[in-house]
Amino acid sequence: MQQQAAAPTQSAPPQDATAATGDAPPKQVAQALERLGQAGRLIADVRLGADRLLEGLFFVAAEPHQQSSSKFINLILREDSLMRRHLHDLRTIGRQLEESGVLTDSLRSRSNSWGLHMPLVCPDGAVVAYAWKRQLAGQAGASAVDRTRLALKAFTDQKKRFFLHLADDSVVESAKKKHCSPRAMNSQEEIGDQRTLADILLGLEKEVPNLQAFTHQRLDWLKQATSLTSAANESSLKNPSFPSSSKLRQGSVSISTGDKAAVIELLVPCVFRAVVSLHTAGSMDPDAVAFFSPDEGGSYLHARGFSLHHVYRHVSEHASMALQYFISSSPETALHCLLHWVCSYQSLFTKVCSKCGKLLSMDKQSGVLLPPVWRPFRSFTPTNNPQKSSSNGSNCSLDLISAFHISCFSDKA
Amino acid sequence: MPIKWILHWQPNAGTTVNTQILSEVSQCAESINGVKEGRWKTILSFYRAMVREQGSANEFPRDFVGISLAEQPSKYFLVIRGQRVVVEAESNIQMIMEKLQSYKTRFVLTFEGNQYQLGDFQLRVGKVVPTHSESLRGIVMEMEYQPISSWEKSHQIMGEFFDLWQEALSKRSLQGHFVHLEPNFTEYGLSDQYTLQHTAVQYASITAQMISTAQTVQPNRN
Repeated sequence: MQQQAAAPTQSAPPQDATAATGDAPPKQVAQALERLGQAGRLIADVRLGADRLLEGLFFVAAEPHQQSSSKFINLILREDSLMRRHLHDLRTIGRQLEESGVLTDSLRSRSNSWGLHMPLVCPDGAVVAYAWKRQLAGQAGASAVDRTRLALKAFTDQKKRFFLHLADDSVVESAKKKHCSPRAMNSQEEIGDQRTLADILLGLEKEVPNLQAFTHQRLDWLKQATSLTSAANESSLKNPSFPSSSKLRQGSVSISTGDKAAVIELLVPCVFRAVVSLHTAGSMDPDAVAFFSPDEGGSYLHARGFSLHHVYRHVSEHASMALQYFISSSPETALHCLLHWVCSYQSLFTKVCSKCGKLLSMDKQSGVLLPPVWRPFRSFTPTNNPQKSSSNGSNCSLDLISAFHISCFSDKA
Repeated sequence: MPIKWILHWQPNAGTTVNTQILSEVSQCAESINGVKEGRWKTILSFYRAMVREQGSANEFPRDFVGISLAEQPSKYFLVIRGQRVVVEAESNIQMIMEKLQSYKTRFVLTFEGNQYQLGDFQLRVGKVVPTHSESLRGIVMEMEYQPISSWEKSHQIMGEFFDLWQEALSKRSLQGHFVHLEPNFTEYGLSDQYTLQHTAVQYASITAQMISTAQTVQPNRN
């Protein structure tokens, strides 16, 4: 893949007008893309290494015999040194990318960029590449036909890499087949009935009356998050009867099959805003979750971001553990369980701790007063029948979930 | 914006506020892991209408106050408690009133002190002094909880924090306690979402309360 992206640069004119500050823009863009590719490979290596380490640990824990454990201890040591090297290389590439302006978007303001743009890495990790543009911007040596052909080739490669859902049908079919077979074996048929994301979110909104659920595409969410600060400032000065700008926002629960959602936003007004990111757009696999204040806004508001407030940071940390648990225990229903569990936090500022009976408690580790930020997830089962819960009174099943302060929970365990 | 409770010190019968109480309160804030961050100042002015005819002077409210808040120096808040009115204006309204000779400042109070950060809570402890004077007239405290901006939703957690605070303070055996008065914000046309206007209304209320307490103790004053 990198060869295909790097090859067109060889047809670039040899007499690049090198600016006083270094290489010409086409070469910088090519280098940046190459480094991003390398970074992607290193991240994949780190993930694989982590999987191998965990596998080794599980085996050692399951069979503590002398012979097999020494083999796995060696494996762990080897993986450890490999991981460290990968991480070191990743850091180096990260620094290079930062210097070249890829991560900070600082080069857009440069005047001699020839109309080319460096690839932009969004705060939540999505990469927006404009590499194919450099082909059209003009490479003096190549003819118009050659340039167009190279541009089309580069664009098709970019499309295959970054926009998988627009890829060949054969790729999509095999991905669908992988998803369908575990679902057929799923014994929890009621949860299986809620097959699409829209079903889950609609069911959730019925169960939790105050909840507003939205889906977004990844870049749309970035724009939305940045505009949230200005909306919050405006609404504080407005007349209360004036309709708030949040009602006019894009994104809705009823997503059409054309839109592939990558970010789910769950908003309980005046309590929290939770952002869940899906592993690939249109899938049902959550891979990150974070909580924020409903008044917060900015580009740091994404599923791997951190709130400015202690309470939401602690909840996010706990939620990440819950997510890993749901994924490992039942991957098919992980999203369903996670979203329901997230909604149990609607009582974050009202439900007292089930152990000490108080709302506020000083957390020993951070020295900060917090409400009960932990809700147990190991025995969590969402109700599958929204009609049943609504007849008993709204969201009674979520109300029954106990809440704990951090120190109260660990004392109990 | 984050919700805030404003409390004032109610001295025990027969006692008055003094700087010793102020320093004890500050130390208490530090003892519960409060980190001193900086200073704050809010200014409250009592206005009197300048009228030509003597007779119509009584038509104008006597409880008209103007407040300049620490968070937003570019704004000025005007409150008439008797008529439940609060208005947000630009800070140059003061200059306008002066130039027009429509209202004149009768009496100005300054609230100033230190600010402490306790996790998601922010505490401000301050003395109340008439401007250009050192005589301590009262002690106020602002308790702010930064994650939430709904008055109703935050009530329980703020109540618990207030209790925690009173408990911590009671160990110091001070002659008095903090009081929280909750004005009826709906009467002022304010919503559940907290704004600077809510703060202005709270300041107007506690100032009135402190003055009436002082007047019952020493009716010949002022």
